[in-house]
Amino acid sequence: MDSLHAIGFYVSAAVSVAGGLSVAFLAGRSRRGLGLAVVAIGVAGIYLSLSAGFAALVALVCYGSCALLLAGSAYRAVEPLAGSRWRQAGALGAAALMVLIAYAAYGADFASAKYFGGWFGSAALGRSLFAHDALATEAVAALILVALVGGTVAWRARERSR
Amino acid sequence: MARKGALQVSVGLVSVFFAAAALVGVGAFIATWRRELTHALAGIPLMFAGAGTAFAGVSRFAAAPAGGSQLLGQEVAALLSVAALAAVALGVGLAGRVGPR
Repeated sequence: MDSLHAIGFYVSAAVSVAGGLSVAFLAGRSRRGLGLAVVAIGVAGIYLSLSAGFAALVALVCYGSCALLLAGSAYRAVEPLAGSRWRQAGALGAAALMVLIAYAAYGADFASAKYFGGWFGSAALGRSLFAHDALATEAVAALILVALVGGTVAWRARERSR
Repeated sequence: MARKGALQVSVGLVSVFFAAAALVGVGAFIATWRRELTHALAGIPLMFAGAGTAFAGVSRFAAAPAGGSQLLGQEVAALLSVAALAAVALGVGLAGRVGPR
């Protein structure tokens, strides 16, 4: 990876993390949506610098759509059931998770080795789902989508009849 | 022409994992810290983006020694982006049903 790609990666990572922090701390749904759009641009930049151009395009569209959804007029506030003490404990857990993952990334010894994980390994499953049985996977995805749409329509019809 | 002794900026798998960990951590922080549940939904795309970054990084750096294209990680990163959009759309839709207008 040359210096230009590396600088692009670090800038994109900083932009995405800064956008995430702005989503956490900014007030107002339009500002938070803007922060999430910044995250989308940053993540797309990360993918692009990792030579994943198509994934960058998909990430830009999907995370940008998430930003539009969270900033749009369909947004409704929902109050939680958990108390503030549980939320603070959860936030501390999130910080501990980040420290743990960062420590694992720093302390791990990455070796170049060829290891066949067996027929039930993640690589074999990925090859089976995305290469050998790609059409079947797409068919199952379409079936789940139709079932979800049907369930939503049935739910709305039942709500209207009440 | 590069100056002699200039610092060469490089990215390795560890740097990618650090960025991924930061994204997952910030996403988990948003999901747990915010009082409002719909606002907490914004943490899901960040966590998925972190996981996708790790997958894309492994794919990028695993492809180099083999000499071939290793597209599985990129596929999973794209899939995670779509899954994040679906989860947020479902959450916003459900919040629209139960939340105050």
